[in-house]
Amino acid sequence: MGIKRIEAIIRPERLEPLRVQLEAVGYPGMTVSETEGHGKQRGVENSFRGNIYKTYFIPKVKVVLTVSEKSVKAIVDTIIEVCKTGKPGDGKIFITDVAEVIRIRTEEKGLDAL
Amino acid sequence: MAQVLHLYGSRKLHAASIRRPGVYNVVSPAPFPSIHFQPGFTEESGIKRAGSSGLAQEEAVVKRFIEKFKDKEQRGLFYSLLGGKMLGLLILYGVILAVPAYFNGHLHADVTPTAQAATAAAPAAAPAVVPDPPYVNPINTMWVLVTAFLVFFMQAGFMFLEAGFARTRETINVLLSGIVDTCLCGLLFYAWGFAWMFGSGNGFIGNQYYFLQNIPLTYGSCGVATLAVFLFQFAFADTCSTVTTGAMVGRTGFVGDLIYSVGVSGFIYPILGHWAWGPDGWLNNIQPAAFHDFAGSTVVHTIGGMVALAGAIVLGPRLGRKFVRDGGGPMPGHDMTIAAVGAVILWFGWYGFNPGSTLSAMDFIGIARVATNTTLAACAGGLTPLFYLYPRLKKWDCGISINGFLGGLVAITCPCYWVSPLGAIIIGAVAGIVVVWGVDLMEHLRIDDPVGAWPVHGLCGIWGTWSLGLLATGEFGASTTTGADNSAGSVVTGLFYGGGWHQFEAQVIGNAAIGGAAFIVGLLLMYAVHYLTGTLRVSKEGEMEGLDLHEHGGVAYPEMVTR
Repeated sequence: MGIKRIEAIIRPERLEPLRVQLEAVGYPGMTVSETEGHGKQRGVENSFRGNIYKTYFIPKVKVVLTVSEKSVKAIVDTIIEVCKTGKPGDGKIFITDVAEVIRIRTEEKGLDAL
Repeated sequence: MAQVLHLYGSRKLHAASIRRPGVYNVVSPAPFPSIHFQPGFTEESGIKRAGSSGLAQEEAVVKRFIEKFKDKEQRGLFYSLLGGKMLGLLILYGVILAVPAYFNGHLHADVTPTAQAATAAAPAAAPAVVPDPPYVNPINTMWVLVTAFLVFFMQAGFMFLEAGFARTRETINVLLSGIVDTCLCGLLFYAWGFAWMFGSGNGFIGNQYYFLQNIPLTYGSCGVATLAVFLFQFAFADTCSTVTTGAMVGRTGFVGDLIYSVGVSGFIYPILGHWAWGPDGWLNNIQPAAFHDFAGSTVVHTIGGMVALAGAIVLGPRLGRKFVRDGGGPMPGHDMTIAAVGAVILWFGWYGFNPGSTLSAMDFIGIARVATNTTLAACAGGLTPLFYLYPRLKKWDCGISINGFLGGLVAITCPCYWVSPLGAIIIGAVAGIVVVWGVDLMEHLRIDDPVGAWPVHGLCGIWGTWSLGLLATGEFGASTTTGADNSAGSVVTGLFYGGGWHQFEAQVIGNAAIGGAAFIVGLLLMYAVHYLTGTLRVSKEGEMEGLDLHEHGGVAYPEMVTR
């Protein structure tokens, strides 16, 4: 049974609803960081004193969950359900393989560490 | 020679490698563990470690001293250093005693002889008549002092406003230059600023009261103690000096800032201000209507705005600033919270700026009228640009509302004593639109003005000065201790109230003379600082890493990424 790393870049205001929904689905733990970036649109336009300026990096939140392969579908479906607004800037989910997981406190390895 | 220079250059530590936050912090403020791993670091030991290192250093210093003291030669060195320091202190003490003793006989020149005559006459047993001392009006003096404190508080407003419109990387520079401009202005105004501006001399410059020597007990006709007037006028000079920094945020070297500040506070402001406010200023004598500027739309704000414009032109835009006509846009401020609150603090301070210029608490009707006009102009100025800009982008812009009500306040500063409340609303409303035009004009001319100093202070100062010639009601004349002098010859009447063009012409002449001179001399000053000292603009690397790190060795927000 493999272990997968789900990395989701989402809108900052969706973080709290996502946490609530994931609680219902069940997950071992998560790591959250603030970040910024842009996609195909290459940024947005804002205005200051009547003139427009371009902002190339938009604040986002990155949520990283490392879960067993079984749970991936449920978690990814939850993320999409909570974070989708239909407008550009919703974000992306990246799923990669994890070579090893170790719990530092007890030195358990593999699925036991999740 | 080149080798020596190269050696010197290579020993100069590069700012980027030495002053980054976090490298030398003993305790990391971040919630996550510091990436600079310290062996043996635990939750408990972290706090202990910070405390113990300080004491260990001091112990080492004492040990080194005791070791050195055992050597005879080192002892001799120590005693001669000590002797030298004592000598220096003695000399300093001598200077502290000598300077006031030299000046002591010269303060209150017109009171001391009287007192001496009185004491000389009494023991002579001749019935000498002791004349009354000059009358100091207590409530008027208190009024001028309290309003001086309010105007001084505008410095806090300016610091907030300019810091909010700047980027995080230059915030400390903005704050410190505000403080330093204030300190320099106080000392220069004491030394010769007050003398040139308010002493009698000729129509262009004063020549009395250098270093506040031989000042009369009261200044002017309202019985206000001279030092209270000095303080009040210092606060005004400080305002002018701070306005100039607004357009020069983000790329001005600190030394260059010090130098041009001396130029503005010490030379430009007092001399040009004398023309309008000096006892024998030439603008008081033009016929048939004299130039009027109640609280300084021209003297404070136009001068400040013009020097700011000169500075912005000579400096050039900040690196990376592309203008709208070239496909770029403005650089937004980093903190609208302090910008907006700072602007409202300025509004609050303006309740000292305008009403205090009556210089008399007994002219209570005048004070109420001035305060009301001030308020209404700000209210109108805050709203008109908001609605004017909405159609452009369908957004309600906070920055333009801030600049708008400040522009309204600047504009009403000249005519506030002589217009009606409705006139004040019109003046403020037009000022708000003028600010938008000014911002667009600066953008079009490719002049980078981060806080809008010229549109708000320069352009609205011009509008406010002219508006007196249009909207003065003709009900009020010159302000005196107890009220307006409303005699027929002395009332101020504008064009729309049947006064003809005379007052308007006088206003245009006065504003053009002072504003034009300020701009030309400002340009000369900025070019002189730039080309003779090279300190006006910082280096490219310094500007990119930020003035805070480059000039001040730190960042304003160490726990966050600086932009």
